[in-house]
Amino acid sequence: MTTAENSGPNQNSEDYIVELLGITKSFPGIVANSDVTLRVKRGGFHAVIGENGAGKSTLLNILYGRYQPDSGCGEIRINGESVTGKLTSPAQSIKMGIGLVSQHYALIPALSVIENVILGSEQVLPGGVLKRKEASGEIAQIMSHLGLTGIDLNMRAERLSVAAQQKVEIVKALYRKARVLLLDEPTAVLAPAEAESLFALLQSLQRAGTTVVFVTHKLREVMAYSSAVTVLRGGKLAGDFITANTSREELLERMIGTRPPAASPSPDIESEITGGPMVEAASERRPLLKIQGATIFGSRGAKAVTDASLELFAGEIVGIAGVDGSGQKELSEAIVGLRTLKSGTIRLASCDFLSESEITRDSVRRRQKLGIAYIPEDRHRAGMILNFSIGENYLLGHEKDRAWGGGVFLNRATIGARAGEMITGYDVRLGTRTADARAGDLSGGNQQKVVIARALDGQPRVLVACQPTRGLDTGASGFVYEALRKARAAGMGVLLFSLDLDEVLELSDRVAVMFNGQIVGVLPHSEATAETVGALMTGATAGSGAAR
Amino acid sequence: MTKQALLQKFAPAMRPLAGIAAGLAVAAIIMLCSGYHPVAAFAAMWTGATGLEAGPATSDTMIRLGSGHINLFLLAQTLAKITPLLFTGTAIAVGLRAGLFNIGAQGQMLMGALFAAGVGALGKHSAAGDGSINPGLHVLLVLVAGAAAGALWGALSGVLKAYRGVHEVISTIMLNFAALDIIQYLVTHNMKDDAPGSMSAQSPLMAQTAWLWPYVHGSNLTAGILLAIISTFAAALFIGRTSTGLQIRAVGLSPDTARASGIDVRRITVLTMALSGAIAGLAGAVEVMGIHHRYVAGVAGTAGFDGIAVALLGNLSGPGVALSALFFGALASGSGYMETTTNVPAPISEIVQAVVILLVGIKAAIRFRRPGTKAERKETHGISG
Repeated sequence: MTTAENSGPNQNSEDYIVELLGITKSFPGIVANSDVTLRVKRGGFHAVIGENGAGKSTLLNILYGRYQPDSGCGEIRINGESVTGKLTSPAQSIKMGIGLVSQHYALIPALSVIENVILGSEQVLPGGVLKRKEASGEIAQIMSHLGLTGIDLNMRAERLSVAAQQKVEIVKALYRKARVLLLDEPTAVLAPAEAESLFALLQSLQRAGTTVVFVTHKLREVMAYSSAVTVLRGGKLAGDFITANTSREELLERMIGTRPPAASPSPDIESEITGGPMVEAASERRPLLKIQGATIFGSRGAKAVTDASLELFAGEIVGIAGVDGSGQKELSEAIVGLRTLKSGTIRLASCDFLSESEITRDSVRRRQKLGIAYIPEDRHRAGMILNFSIGENYLLGHEKDRAWGGGVFLNRATIGARAGEMITGYDVRLGTRTADARAGDLSGGNQQKVVIARALDGQPRVLVACQPTRGLDTGASGFVYEALRKARAAGMGVLLFSLDLDEVLELSDRVAVMFNGQIVGVLPHSEATAETVGALMTGATAGSGAAR
Repeated sequence: MTKQALLQKFAPAMRPLAGIAAGLAVAAIIMLCSGYHPVAAFAAMWTGATGLEAGPATSDTMIRLGSGHINLFLLAQTLAKITPLLFTGTAIAVGLRAGLFNIGAQGQMLMGALFAAGVGALGKHSAAGDGSINPGLHVLLVLVAGAAAGALWGALSGVLKAYRGVHEVISTIMLNFAALDIIQYLVTHNMKDDAPGSMSAQSPLMAQTAWLWPYVHGSNLTAGILLAIISTFAAALFIGRTSTGLQIRAVGLSPDTARASGIDVRRITVLTMALSGAIAGLAGAVEVMGIHHRYVAGVAGTAGFDGIAVALLGNLSGPGVALSALFFGALASGSGYMETTTNVPAPISEIVQAVVILLVGIKAAIRFRRPGTKAERKETHGISG
């Protein structure tokens, strides 16, 4: 495997703080990394990109000591010194100055910020009493260095926003004297502004001498912030570049192996949008779904959505934009029946659109039968059951339906056959596995394909898609976009709840913007730009278009 | 099958087997320290559990086997001990499949025993227990009564959990006490045994039409064992092969996913607790029908609690529960025989049980309180991204 792409990094080991050389790591049934080399320059800002299943997380976890490479396969050097076989646990790698901010944040919700930061490296007085004051002083110092204000050290971690939790994780790594900071998909759950502030923070850390290694699949981040980039594809090294010497197009090509087909444009590549917006057509018809004056309370008993009204027409995609926590989650849950409305109504048009019925109090299952399908925001928590087989996951929601292999007794043959068709139809990559494999063994993108297939194959009329591309790479995201467009073309009404503004703008025929629990504006595709929507998202302007 | 595939197939059994081995080893060490001879003790335990003895057959309940014989009475007593454990182990495993830790199998079993005794006493027209109801029908009625009582008692915890958010561990423990007190009241008042000479708190003798008769004279082994085996495998079939079973498993593994896919989590919670309670109730019914023929204090022994160990050691699977009930039943039966023949105190078996629970059970219990096990998270991490 050659590493001498372009003006490849020079071979002087002195320059590298971390080197993974010829690493191979296999799991039962899959080789996650095959002869992969990653060399990170001291003080660099190194991006690792690749599609889901490309082996990025695995590589990071090897460096963090969580996984060991297959024995005899490869060498690990830190500061030019071989540590092969010594990185046997995260504790070891922390000792060597490596810190990880993982994809699923690892803070303990019930503990305070300070307790979370010191956890695992507590300084204690004789008798086991925590040196709380010293610790809090030290942490406050780190935070002020980073310009992090507004995080109360005594606040319980569960009360922090996602972005703040992530910053606490960074503080935690620095508290342990990390010289190399590893971040796994750091912006996967952040709003655009939060992502920017994160990268500003990371850049200031880099200027202060910390080496940053981050895994992402967002080319924009790679081009804007990184100094070097390593591309992985299918567990193998697919390129190694100095960022300044490459281009998005080149990186994308390396990531997916060929030029992207025009039919499935990626969010990062400008291209013709197939199946154009259908605003005019939609306005002539009666709405498919009508939400009127919905007021919804959140899980903690606070009002999350106030008097929201929205109409969805058949054959359109309405994107719901907004900063995280503006009430999108509660609104989406209320539409599918997971959350009750305090006041207001939800109505669904009959199949001939001549009448409508109120579904405000209907159960999730009843709404499913009436044609409302749901792609939950959190794939692992609410989208699928990792310990179920792929076939069983695909069946969920239809387990009483004979055509799906359900009924009183499950028909395994039918379940397997249907899952097999789905696997082919949606191009779910199983490696050497079958439909009986655990869903947890699939990569994120392939799991999402199963969730989407399940939602769409029920022939719904309304699709409520929440963060459908969260944590997915370019290729898988393109697949999701394609699926949503096809759903629109087939006459479904699609509600796209997404924190990714680019995604909302690209796909939506209309964009509804939520701010502080209210729908502050609904813009047609032609008027929805990053500026207009962004202004509404931050509450800077009053709604220009009233909610229809 | 390759060696690796074989290993994978039997991997779930490794931990339970290691636990059993460790339990027996600890028991052996304690016997040594207390001056007993572990080999002799285990040999006695084996004989008591299996009925395999040396020497010629000397009675009609012994069958010649090679140079020795099988003592059918001892074997029957072991199977009789296994019977309630199969029921309660299955009951608790069913609950755990939905993520519900039913600590109340004991109370449900007692309620089942009481109602079975009550319905069993119907149609009796002599002090000796002659009855007028068709025996087949009567047995069926008594079983239904026992299952219904247990189901009701279990469902109560299910309702409290589903609609009031009361944790089932708390409510089932409290309902165990409630069951005991209610029964104590009934058997000293409304359901008191009025037969002359009856002193203790017990219900009237059941009609013989509702009895289960021993297979081996003098033993406690009845058709209850068949019912227990059927229950275990029917429950496994229900959980594994029906759509409601799939819903139960979904709720157990990921309540949020279950809810999002339209499964009525509350309904499943109540249903599962009712089902779990019904199976525990059957255990109580079978005990009174086969052994005591009335409700008496101690009718359930500690089967309701031992069932927790059975379910956890059996990894919640049907065959697993069957094997683990076999082990614990044999252990209990064998240790009684060991005590009478070698003077090693029978409670040594409780030490074995305790070690097994510590090594096997605690991990499983923790696993069921937390969605997403460590292994699961790890595995998912490895391949995504």
